[in-house]
Amino acid sequence: MSTAVADVKDYRGRVHNLSSRIMTDWMTQLKQAAASGSPSAYLMISGNCVEILRCFDILPVFPEINALQLAIRKKSLPYIIKAEEIGYASDNCAYVKADIGFTLSGGVGKDGNIPVPSMIVCNFVGCNVYIKWFEHCAAMFNCPLVMIDVPFVREGDRPCPGDVAYVMSQLYDLIHQCEELTGRKFDIDKLREIMRHSARAEEGWTRCKDLCKRRPAPFDAYFDSINMMGPINALRGTREAADFFDAAVLEYEEMVQRGEGVLPEEKFRIVTEGPPPYPYYRNFRSLFETWGAVAVQSTYSTVGGTWEFGFRHDPDRPLESIAEQMLVHNLCNRTLTERYAQIRRYVEEWDADALVIHSIKSCRLFSAGQGDMREYFTKELGVLTLMVESDLEDPRYYAEAQMKNRIDAFFEALQYKRIRGAAHAAAAKG
Amino acid sequence: MEYAAGIDVGSTQTKAVLLDASRAIVARALINTGANVKRAGQTALDTLLSQSGVAKEAVGFVVGTGYGRYKIEAGNAQVTEISCHARGAQLLFPGTRTVIDMGGQDTKAIKVGPEGDVLDFCMNDKCAAGTGRFLAGAAEVLGLSLDDIGEISLRGTQPIRLTSVCTVFVESDILGYVAQKRKMEDILAGVHQAIASRTIGLVRRVGMEAEFTFTGGVARNMGMVRALEAKLDVTLNVSPDAHFMGALGAALFALDHVLAGRSVVPAAADVPAEWVTG
Repeated sequence: MSTAVADVKDYRGRVHNLSSRIMTDWMTQLKQAAASGSPSAYLMISGNCVEILRCFDILPVFPEINALQLAIRKKSLPYIIKAEEIGYASDNCAYVKADIGFTLSGGVGKDGNIPVPSMIVCNFVGCNVYIKWFEHCAAMFNCPLVMIDVPFVREGDRPCPGDVAYVMSQLYDLIHQCEELTGRKFDIDKLREIMRHSARAEEGWTRCKDLCKRRPAPFDAYFDSINMMGPINALRGTREAADFFDAAVLEYEEMVQRGEGVLPEEKFRIVTEGPPPYPYYRNFRSLFETWGAVAVQSTYSTVGGTWEFGFRHDPDRPLESIAEQMLVHNLCNRTLTERYAQIRRYVEEWDADALVIHSIKSCRLFSAGQGDMREYFTKELGVLTLMVESDLEDPRYYAEAQMKNRIDAFFEALQYKRIRGAAHAAAAKG
Repeated sequence: MEYAAGIDVGSTQTKAVLLDASRAIVARALINTGANVKRAGQTALDTLLSQSGVAKEAVGFVVGTGYGRYKIEAGNAQVTEISCHARGAQLLFPGTRTVIDMGGQDTKAIKVGPEGDVLDFCMNDKCAAGTGRFLAGAAEVLGLSLDDIGEISLRGTQPIRLTSVCTVFVESDILGYVAQKRKMEDILAGVHQAIASRTIGLVRRVGMEAEFTFTGGVARNMGMVRALEAKLDVTLNVSPDAHFMGALGAALFALDHVLAGRSVVPAAADVPAEWVTG
């Protein structure tokens, strides 16, 4: 039953190269800012308000991206251990620990690649551990902390009355802080222009994801999405990011026209929930590729924002639409049942065979409820669901043999189910 | 006549089964895996051949399973032990809908379809808590043989309550009870109940559907059988070949190939049983 798709390749199309180039440009800017001390601000990925910082030419810095880059380069563990040495618990968020350990080791500042932030913007969306992370950072750097309280969406897919106005009032405060920091007046026309770039990038990103509804899917919406999440989350609001997505759409449309998929043969279409194990990113991907499994949608790719269901930043309602995105149009700030509904749409509209949940050991917050999620999809919807567990940042939680065993067994079952279905259909016909 | 072999290289022991074309078990082999996984697989196969007197050339196909499945040089294909236990259990107990497999470092609950197909499964996570290794640790600290602790546990009348099934801390936990002069049988009854409780959690996740078949090395332990039966409130199917169930399932997948007249890989699943045997 063990099958191998021959000739698994690392897809290195124009999208990957272009993403790599514009992300490298941004990282060069970070390094330059580290040396020059030009204004920069820490910001979270989830439901962020990067457009406002960009309006003041404040360079956004995302500690989450710093952390994941350490992990994917297999450098995270010494920093995690460093944070544990000062008292962070073993089951504390490993993103937090890697970043704190990195900072304590001199990675941030004149001699590092990351600038000391002029300001820390904590756009609290769903994760209260992050509040403590950013508080700790503000204390370490002795810089202003702007804490934006984004109320959790209590029910459904709409904010409660007053929530949008409440978040907007805090965005005004952020704008004042930015004015003080830069000595510049707020220019709403500039913000509108930035938001036009945002909306164009969001439209392109949505069109890319829509192309994964085709068979075969032109890219892996989990593993290859990483190359697009940088531009959509960190570079959103720039012309470069918007142009990048136009180019991506073009490339993927061409692939679809040629009937070309990301794998030589697409055998299974899956939806994924949860971030990948970055320290073993390539290994983990191979475990799926071997079975010809392609992710056609992923919840992780919507951590920054959920655009595939129609939301766009609106230049005609700039602050209001930023507040709406922070509140509702991102993965983390909504109820579990809304998350289920999102995944259900993915499975149905992207025509997936199965759901794969990668649960994160050091993130109890978002792992909570995944057992129920598995049960809901398996028992109520009849969607075969695999749940595996390791970590997004801490390599100590990854056990290759056990991971492979579970994934192989899962696809064996899927394959068997398909063969049996075909046999029964043939029997009924003949 | 052609034969098919299944070799299950587990973390502790390697099990192998040789089947003839009528699905009858011709030979069994059981050896300690040890550090050399390759050798264990080969030795197991050699043992099958010497026991049965079957020539090597008469074995048409070999399927490897277990953690060491890719290390078996004679293996023509590999199938996970999850699929193999389901297949083996369905052969011996056709009414099986749930398989509980307890091995050296894994405990699994497998939901099985009427044709031995895996519908769902759950396993312990990376930690080996609540597996056969936990029982081995308990036996060791009490100076008993692993083969004896099940029977002794059945005599317990006031089982201790273990707070965890951590394989590392089991020793100090048990020593604590020894110091309190608790009876050996009560300590062991508590050990078995703790594992049973944890296992039931896995079974609930795939759904409690009868019949239940208990497989894997720990199924030889009558104390564990009774503890699980008490928690589930059912009678478990337990075969004398429970320990060989993974190897048996692997041999059945191998037999699919033999009967289809194909002895060169492609994937075993290309030749599912029902197409071959009707």
